[in-house]
Amino acid sequence: MNARWWVPFAFLAPALVGLAIFRFAPIVIAAVGSLFGTTLRGESVFLGLRNYTELFADPSFWSTVSTTLIFNLIINPFQVVCAMGLALLVERPTRFVHIFRASFLLPMTVSIALTSIIWAIMLDPTLGPVNGFLRWAGLPAQRFFRSPDQALGTLILVATWKGAGYWMVFLLAGLLSIPKDLYESAAIDGATGWQRFWRLTLPLMRRPLAFVLVADTAANFLLFAPVYIITNGGPNGATQLLMFEAYQAAFAHLNHGRSLAISTIILAIILAIAVVELRLFRPAEGSA
Amino acid sequence: MTGFAARARALAFMRHAALVLIATALVLPVYWILMSSLRPADQIFRHAGTFGLETLVPMQLTFENFRFIFSGTFPRALFNSMFIGVATVTLGVFVNSMAGFAFAVFEFPFKRALFAVVLLSFMMPFESIVIPLYTLMRGLGWTDTYAALILPEVAGGLVIFLFRQFFAGIPKEIYEAAVIDGANWWQIYWRMTMPLSGPTIATASLMLFIHQWDAFFWPLVAASREELAVVQVAIARNMTLEQANWGALFASASSAVLVAMVPFLFLQRYYIRVVATQADR
Repeated sequence: MNARWWVPFAFLAPALVGLAIFRFAPIVIAAVGSLFGTTLRGESVFLGLRNYTELFADPSFWSTVSTTLIFNLIINPFQVVCAMGLALLVERPTRFVHIFRASFLLPMTVSIALTSIIWAIMLDPTLGPVNGFLRWAGLPAQRFFRSPDQALGTLILVATWKGAGYWMVFLLAGLLSIPKDLYESAAIDGATGWQRFWRLTLPLMRRPLAFVLVADTAANFLLFAPVYIITNGGPNGATQLLMFEAYQAAFAHLNHGRSLAISTIILAIILAIAVVELRLFRPAEGSA
Repeated sequence: MTGFAARARALAFMRHAALVLIATALVLPVYWILMSSLRPADQIFRHAGTFGLETLVPMQLTFENFRFIFSGTFPRALFNSMFIGVATVTLGVFVNSMAGFAFAVFEFPFKRALFAVVLLSFMMPFESIVIPLYTLMRGLGWTDTYAALILPEVAGGLVIFLFRQFFAGIPKEIYEAAVIDGANWWQIYWRMTMPLSGPTIATASLMLFIHQWDAFFWPLVAASREELAVVQVAIARNMTLEQANWGALFASASSAVLVAMVPFLFLQRYYIRVVATQADR
């Protein structure tokens, strides 16, 4: 369309200025700020890479990194499998399917802070109704978030309770766009349901599955609210995730250099994930 | 043949059993919180430890918990969240639709690169920049202001993308005819295109509002002052204190859940239609 050269930029300016200040400037601030430290008198001093060398020499940082890695290596595949399972269960238009789809989406509408509060109460070892149910069913009561062995697993289950339905939306859209005659001709050829799933559905779903896995990884990598609200990183550091460590460094220990160094590491990883996601992104899927 | 039919029936039964079980596990916690907010304070945990019918069905109902929270500081938090949400929607619809209009209608240098930047901004979750953004806001002296809670969420890649998709579907001839009639681009955007965009504006508004309503990490660090606490932060602060009034906590959590859930229930049909049209292709 013909217009004077500045017209498109005038339309773009407010949004681009907003993105530049509030999304992209912080990336630069994290990278530059991580090279500085604050003296006791509150003066800023240039430290070079010392925030990073101190971080890498700190065993508690490495224990946070390993907890974050274990958490992500389990939760991301687990959530994708759960989301795919849910999508397959409500794929066919049977009776009541709308009710089931809606109920699968319900946790998505509960904010992450409220999800944390609800489950902190539900899973409280003494007051919570979940232990009440376990005792009623003749099972031993559990410590959940209060046990160093169970806390991370419980966190994974709670995050999946909220997340699975959201990711299901993308996979359900993918499943419903597979042409039905492909299944019919496979059935005529005598393929069993199991064979159809492995040879037909999964290969055709490769792209939506990859998109969900990558986008889900970015979201879980930044998980903060449940750690802050329920566990405070405990018990015994069992749920000390990287994002919470960055928060603690800034707001509990008032060490902004260290906090920005952790933020820079997080941002580098998130940027790498986002670039992969961008390549997998197709407009038709994003609108779902 | 009967063996095959029996197997199919067994499979269908297992599928429905799984559906009911999963749906129960997903819905029950929300249901329990909503129900508990209507119980008298001394009844809330009485039936939690010993499971039975009364764990799920309250025998006595009261609005006392809601009356209590609305006489305290909760209305202020409610006002903050509403004000921040409405301000973000107003500015966000305006700013993002303008950018979407530019991407859909014009050809200009660096268009592809700029659009990639816009998409990149929505692939990076907001949480990833919260701490350096706080450093920036402190430098500007903007912490503990409404501006700090509103402005960062106004421009958003996903909303720009939504508007671009919609505007790109409007036939180019309409714009050309308007230009020949002597309309300038501002008039075309504001008088012609925007009035056609009702459903997109509604979707974008809802997305912007729910995003702000649910936000936790940024409002927690950006505004530490009690008077600026949003609903999510106010409830979480009540949670971490030694809890003396569980009824109030349940009532405030229920109110916050319902505000985000009710619009979703209205959009449920629209959502299924979006999925169904994808199926037709």
